[in-house]
Amino acid sequence: MPMKLSVNIGTSVFPNPVTVASGTFGHSEELYRSKEVKCLGALVPKTVTLNAQQGNLPPRICETPAGMINAIGIENAGIDAFIDNKLPGLKRVGVPVIVSISAHNEDDFALMAEKLNAAGGLAAVELNLSCPNLKKKILVAQDAEATAAVVRRVKAVVKYPLIAKLSPNVTDITAIAQAAEGAGADALSMVNTFAAMAIDVRTRRSKIGNFTGGLSGPAIRPIALRMVCETAARVRIPVIGMGGIACADDALEFLIAGATMVAVGTFNFVNPRAPLEVLEGIKAYMKKNKMSDIRELIGSIQR
Amino acid sequence: MAQIQTACHVVELKKINATYLRLVLEAPALAAAARPGQFIHIRVSDGNEPFFRRPFSIYRAQAGKVEIFFEPVGRGSKLLASRKRGDVLDVLGPLGHGFTPPGKDVKQVVFIAGGIGVAPFMIFSDAIKEHKAEKILLYGARSKAQTFATGGLKKNGVKVFVATDDGSVGTSGRVSELFDRVKASPDTMIYTCGPRPMMAAVQAFARTHGLKGEVSCEEVMACGLGACLGCSIPTVNGYRTVCHDGPVFDLQAPVFG
Repeated sequence: MPMKLSVNIGTSVFPNPVTVASGTFGHSEELYRSKEVKCLGALVPKTVTLNAQQGNLPPRICETPAGMINAIGIENAGIDAFIDNKLPGLKRVGVPVIVSISAHNEDDFALMAEKLNAAGGLAAVELNLSCPNLKKKILVAQDAEATAAVVRRVKAVVKYPLIAKLSPNVTDITAIAQAAEGAGADALSMVNTFAAMAIDVRTRRSKIGNFTGGLSGPAIRPIALRMVCETAARVRIPVIGMGGIACADDALEFLIAGATMVAVGTFNFVNPRAPLEVLEGIKAYMKKNKMSDIRELIGSIQR
Repeated sequence: MAQIQTACHVVELKKINATYLRLVLEAPALAAAARPGQFIHIRVSDGNEPFFRRPFSIYRAQAGKVEIFFEPVGRGSKLLASRKRGDVLDVLGPLGHGFTPPGKDVKQVVFIAGGIGVAPFMIFSDAIKEHKAEKILLYGARSKAQTFATGGLKKNGVKVFVATDDGSVGTSGRVSELFDRVKASPDTMIYTCGPRPMMAAVQAFARTHGLKGEVSCEEVMACGLGACLGCSIPTVNGYRTVCHDGPVFDLQAPVFG
């Protein structure tokens, strides 16, 4: 029995629902030929910014129970260098590419979208909204109005489907999700990391150079899942679910909760083969449950 | 990934002295590909505790086997120490950018190591056994219990000089007490690996005397593949990842603060 795994976001079609979270996918081109990369439903490289950023002071990461805290600081060479040096290799893999962008203001977001339009060949653009909102002392993703304003501005320019990546560090993530949907987002990515910290008790210093960072990994999965489940029930656009996915059962939880795609993030660092294992496990589950289309699985939670 | 993520059998795991354990893995493809200064990244737990893999410098790679040494001090290395012969470990590697072999005109090769930092110089001395240069190892440790057997290096023609903090073997004091063995010449090549203050001392010494060299750095790592940028260190060229740009850098590149 043929199995239909492909999913759509806006006008783009992805061969299967398994992708990677931005910032967790290797930059080594020698790995692009591998089965683990070719099997993905989409490639999502690390977030790029308009200009090069050198990133935060080390230490940038620390281990926590079933997870990690990071404060990398979006170290990247800037969007022009990305388009010239990284994007051609990514496109050659033959897997749809979603580029994640971040900026400090709407103009820079729009300028980056125009540059990506000119570069051509993308499947979608993802807005990393966990950046400071310069007008207020919070993140764009923590403010429904600011989120809507960025989405609206980029949507007016960008020729690709547009994904808004949401922060879980809010009181009601469904309100932000609906604001993004109302402003024209074609999908939501959720969730980004949880604000967190860890202290070295010997030195009484933060274990992170940036003082605080973002928690990710299996530790956050149940909270991320709850947020995805609540949001998927309230929006009509697809949700890309992520947060501590390590194996097929974890991914199945998100799909059943209503996610259209699932992303392996931090667990790529522990098991680079995890996305492939997730895909194989989803197929096995569908076969066992006599499902022929992934849509039978998405949002199939029993209430 | 396919080419570098392997399930390896533990061939041997035992204490070699009061401090260190030796782990030998059956890993033919990895052993054939390994270069001096590269490392392997081992998943020490089947679950989520501890969460990260642990990186280990390759000590030797020959006859289809890869050998590492470690001191069981933290949660990860203690768990690794509890493994048994026949167990299967999930290993990534060989990873990273290793040592540049000395050029033909190099007349003195100087390895400067502290504690377990001596590990990569075994495989390196295997690789450059035929090189005509004089080869010396300046080896510093806290005390005799923290020193490795250096017989393998001696067999490869390396002259070994030891300094211990407590004087229990060799010269009493830091490894810098042995720097007078280094020929201050443009034909000298220094390779160093060890604790950060030692590497900083070697860097300063080389800078003062205009000597060339390379340094192998260590940092807490998540992915080991250059993806997460978590192990970045400041260098004269900006931040560089220890796992992918390193662990071996030009001796003057890292900024040891």
